[in-house]
Amino acid sequence: MSGLPGLFADGFARRALLEAVMVGGLCGAVGVHVLLRRLPFFTMALGHATFPGVVLAALAGISLFAGAAAFGAVVVVMVALLGTRDRVDDTSAVGVTLSGAFALGVLLLSAQAGFTRDLTAYLVGSIITVQAADLVTTAVVGVAVLAALAALHKELVLGAFDRGGLAALGYPVLALDVALLLLIEATVVTSIPAVGTILAVALIVAPAAAARLWTERLAATMALAAALGAASGVVGLAISLQWRVAAGATIVLVAGAVFAVSLLVAPRHGLLARRTSAAPAPTRAG
Amino acid sequence: MNLFQPFTIPYMQRALVEVLVLGALAGAVGVLVVLRRLAFVGDALTHTVFPGVVIAHLLGRSLLAGALAFGVLTAVLLTTLGSHRRVGDDAALAILLTSFFSLGVVLISRTPGFTADLTVFLFGRVLAIDRTDLVQTLAVAAVAAITLAALHKELVLRAFDPQAAAAMGYRTRRLDLALNLLIALVVVAAVEAVGTVLVIALMVVPAAAARLLTDRVAAMTALASLLGAAGGWLGLAVSYEVSVDHDLRLAAGATIVIVLVGLFLLATAVAPLRRRLAARSQVAAAEALR
Repeated sequence: MSGLPGLFADGFARRALLEAVMVGGLCGAVGVHVLLRRLPFFTMALGHATFPGVVLAALAGISLFAGAAAFGAVVVVMVALLGTRDRVDDTSAVGVTLSGAFALGVLLLSAQAGFTRDLTAYLVGSIITVQAADLVTTAVVGVAVLAALAALHKELVLGAFDRGGLAALGYPVLALDVALLLLIEATVVTSIPAVGTILAVALIVAPAAAARLWTERLAATMALAAALGAASGVVGLAISLQWRVAAGATIVLVAGAVFAVSLLVAPRHGLLARRTSAAPAPTRAG
Repeated sequence: MNLFQPFTIPYMQRALVEVLVLGALAGAVGVLVVLRRLAFVGDALTHTVFPGVVIAHLLGRSLLAGALAFGVLTAVLLTTLGSHRRVGDDAALAILLTSFFSLGVVLISRTPGFTADLTVFLFGRVLAIDRTDLVQTLAVAAVAAITLAALHKELVLRAFDPQAAAAMGYRTRRLDLALNLLIALVVVAAVEAVGTVLVIALMVVPAAAARLLTDRVAAMTALASLLGAAGGWLGLAVSYEVSVDHDLRLAAGATIVIVLVGLFLLATAVAPLRRRLAARSQVAAAEALR
């Protein structure tokens, strides 16, 4: 590599770098909550399900952020409603909503004969073309989400580990659940310009899962996850600029590699450390 | 609307055979997916076969072989990674899914015109499948159907009572691997023709609808197969009718998904009614006994 400063000399590269650091850090911190509540599939579904919102917004000529955010909120409600039916479990509710919403987006797209705007960028991201306005949006949403997470930290953590306890203490459990889902949604939507709807979930899950392997303390996990997310963004961007491959996908691959290395060498929970003290693993299909 | 007239055209005939076979197979496998709550596994596999397709495409080899190789690799990785306590199976799935998919995107981003390839992979091209595609789909579907028939009893037992299955001497880890491989086969059979979104819909939506309508696994399997095939047929007919007669182009694969979701919503509306009828007949039976 011709040195990092050389690689990030141009304006577009510097904007991309700033976006990668902000999105990576935000996703990493939020990801810890996603893992605690076992919500990766829901996050994946949100990524898919914002697609029709993006198409509608592109057709109407309004902000793609607004379209994605509005549709994401609809999905949050749909999943919550379907999940309350006793014979539709959460996983199936998410599966049905995910495929239905995504198909709706494809249908809307196909019905527009003269539709020329390239939507591949919204599926796999286009961080190189990030504009100053995108950076401002990311910064504002990021600060708001992190502030909300900090303000609700105690309640959210208690809710993740002991819902009964949270309810007994008189907290509004359902409202807190919806608040967390909306925070996740805001994070996914903010990540779309950088890594696209499909890959946003990677930046949320992988750094947090890697951080959980290194430390047991929650505050440390969040800080480490944010750092790993931001670092994955920078390294992935540098590799993609150097070898001219898709940026969003490279960032995700770096995040995946960080997780794979952590899984191998992490001190207590890594596979190498476990080989000495092999405990019987619970049998659960993946 | 005419349910038969569009299918006199050869390409519509091929599409119909494809969706009928896939709808029936995915419906039957989907019941196990829904019972075991493995919808995410199905979703993951639709994405993880992508690099296999890309590599096969770049090497000029059979796309099916590439997809199959990565499908099997994913099934094995999922079964082993999912048992790591600190990671959790859903996190492992999400990371595997996005990393493999990204690998495919990175590889294909080096070739010109990659957005078109990506679009085909995601949305399918069910109206453009040729005779070779059809034969390949039928072959893989036949293997999957035979495997499902041979292991059905064991897989259902594993779904409802893992302890009993283990006590009876079945290797539950092997059964889990078998089910993951089965899902991979369905995905591989379908993904090239109908795209990732339609595969996951065919697997989850009819089975979830059937589960609302009956409690018996055999009936659920039959109903899910029927709903999957019927949704495929109806979706193709609607998309043809609207596109040709009303000049509003509707993508065939996406129309099928929307029809399936419509059938599912219908099932959620009918389910409480059925439950009440069942409860009443039980009361009547109890009174007749008295």
